[in-house]
Amino acid sequence: MFEAFTDVNPSFFGWLNQGPMTLTIFLHTVIILPMIWIYYQEKKRLENEN
Amino acid sequence: MASNHLTGIGSESKQLATWYFTFAAILFGAQLLFGLVAAIQYVMPGFLYGILDFSIARIIHINALVVWMVFAMFGSVYWLLPDETGIETVGIKIGKLLFWIFALAIVIVVLVFLFIQVGPASDTTIWFITEGREYIEAPRWADWGIVVVALGFVGNLFLTGMKGKQTGIVTVLMADMIAFAGLYLAGMFFTDNISVDQYWWWWVIHLWVEATWEVFVGAIAAYGLIKMIGAHRQVVEMWLWIEVAMLFGSGILGLGHHYFWIGTPEYWWEIGALFSALEPLPLVAMFVHVLYDWGKTQGAEMAKEHTDEYQAKSVITNKPAFTWFVLNAFGNFLGAGVWGFFHTLPQVNLYTHGTQFTAAHGHLAFFGAYATILVGMFYIAVQGTNGIKVLKSTKLSIWSTSLITGGMLVMTVALTIAGYVQVLVSRAQMGATWAGYFDGQSGVWFAQAMDWRLIAGVVVFTGFILLAIDLLTTGKNPVHKR
Amino acid sequence: MANKSVWSDNRFWQRTATWVTGFASVLLIWLTFDTSAQIAMGNDQDLQNKVTKRVPGPTVINYKITYEMSAKRGLEVPIIGGNDGKGNSLFQVKEKFFGRDDYSEDEARALLHLGKLGEQAKNCMDCHTLLGNGAYYAPDLTKAWLDPAWGPNGAMQALTGKNTREEAMAEFLQHPGQYPTHARMMPNLGITAKEAKGLVAFLKQMSSIDTNGFPRNFGKIKGAVNGK
Repeated sequence: MFEAFTDVNPSFFGWLNQGPMTLTIFLHTVIILPMIWIYYQEKKRLENEN
Repeated sequence: MASNHLTGIGSESKQLATWYFTFAAILFGAQLLFGLVAAIQYVMPGFLYGILDFSIARIIHINALVVWMVFAMFGSVYWLLPDETGIETVGIKIGKLLFWIFALAIVIVVLVFLFIQVGPASDTTIWFITEGREYIEAPRWADWGIVVVALGFVGNLFLTGMKGKQTGIVTVLMADMIAFAGLYLAGMFFTDNISVDQYWWWWVIHLWVEATWEVFVGAIAAYGLIKMIGAHRQVVEMWLWIEVAMLFGSGILGLGHHYFWIGTPEYWWEIGALFSALEPLPLVAMFVHVLYDWGKTQGAEMAKEHTDEYQAKSVITNKPAFTWFVLNAFGNFLGAGVWGFFHTLPQVNLYTHGTQFTAAHGHLAFFGAYATILVGMFYIAVQGTNGIKVLKSTKLSIWSTSLITGGMLVMTVALTIAGYVQVLVSRAQMGATWAGYFDGQSGVWFAQAMDWRLIAGVVVFTGFILLAIDLLTTGKNPVHKR
Repeated sequence: MANKSVWSDNRFWQRTATWVTGFASVLLIWLTFDTSAQIAMGNDQDLQNKVTKRVPGPTVINYKITYEMSAKRGLEVPIIGGNDGKGNSLFQVKEKFFGRDDYSEDEARALLHLGKLGEQAKNCMDCHTLLGNGAYYAPDLTKAWLDPAWGPNGAMQALTGKNTREEAMAEFLQHPGQYPTHARMMPNLGITAKEAKGLVAFLKQMSSIDTNGFPRNFGKIKGAVNGK
């Protein structure tokens, strides 16, 4: 499953860079996931306001 | 409350804005003039050889570009602050003093570039003649001057924003401008390590142009939409926040697309390629969405109100500015977006990096994303300072807009074709060597593209002259509604 | 508004913008620490210990440098002091640079410092590209040191009447106007002999930087344009 590391120096981000897209999907996910929490918090606030 | 400030008459902040706009327009002219010199040198390499070499023409071309835009951006903020906050800008006297310091520093830097040009390989040269780093060649003493001026400007903005009404637009501008000023510090050091040098150099260039400047444009477009067609602030500001999220969300890590080949690790390939891809979508989205929303409700009502004289009246209060704002929305999408995405993937960029392809993207992006909207702000200032209710298009404004925009499009296409030749011949075929480079440059398609670029440059410059005349005269033109 | 959607709520988007901007900035700072460590310049000790650095130390000018395919990386990498056959540097084969291959750390660092200052003081980047960045009026300098044009069979040694790469380059840099290679000529920039030596050292060190395979196929393909 895991690709052999090819870059010059090993690093955390280099390790996440397992092939096309793995690193960028990971980073996009950690940025977007907390928005769900913000969404539900704001939804609750809007409901309470009514 | 805000009505005292609707026009530029009587507001010191707006007066200062017009100073900034005037100096910006002069530098805009200088940028185009030295761009022409450089374009001629591509066609006739002996032109001004040894007197004003390509490197010097280009330094002034790109530095005038950056500086006129910064001036016009400062001017735009001083213009809109009284409208947005409802009060006169705090510390305007210091703001005016800083304008003169800034302008004087720019004049000295340009004169040194023109007449001293290069120095010996020493720290003295870096401090007093040139720093030799593309876009931020200004010597170190001027860097410190710029920092002082930028701090003063940010101070004005923050004190005014906190004292007056803090709208969404002002909030975004406050956050954006502090990042804008702070990032400049990343370009103010010397290192022997060219990889480290370019790593931080891109912090200034990219995080300005593809993050903070873009958000700035979003704020200005939001202000313009409210001002020119009376769009609902609530809708506009919602889109502004979406823009901020998308621009910073993609633009900050999109920085990675400059870190493919400068000695930095491989993981930047992925980060750079995919984060930068979405950068320009929100800009066109806000504009189109707000227009659609407005047209369906407000616009339709406003049109109904004067059906009898509808032909004569327009619901847009500033036609030329609005035209430039529309050009901005699409120019940004096309220049920064489409032309940027062309070569943002590392597989493509391996061959296009450092070719005329980049120049094509650079020209259309700077024009589409920034020049357009800032020229739009010039027109808003002309309207305000002359107390005009509805500013109409004139023959001159239509001609200048068409010539400048048409010229830029032709120039971009020409540079793109030149880029293709370079990519295929110099890069893919010949592997980027000295011989490969010159083989690419002497190809017929390349040479013809350079001719077309020069012709397009002359067209743009002609358009600029007409634009300058229109900006200076249209305020007194009796066709406008006062 | 009874059922106001969260999606059209300003506060939701404002908080989202704040979160996204803040977190992207934190990630960028983290990445910057990671990258900074990887692109820090090596030193003579690294070269002696055969440690491959992305940016080798200044004494790399004592070694022979080539640019060859690495099977592991799948791209071309700078090879310092000989190839082990698999695309790794051996750090063994030396090469004379202006007649010497025993520059000390301090001497080499001083040369590189002078060269980098010179690169900036002469506005090189406003005609050339370095690591692909700069202006497009003159050839890319990333691997200029390795360019066949400056090699034993290249045009430039014969043109300048010099027998080595470094001397041919230094001569050209001091009097570019005397050696017209193309209608587009490099201007005379008042480069002294000392500065030229520094600049060539800078170019040699730059060619040893691992640029992830940029430029591709450098000097490998002779080309078939116009039947050449």
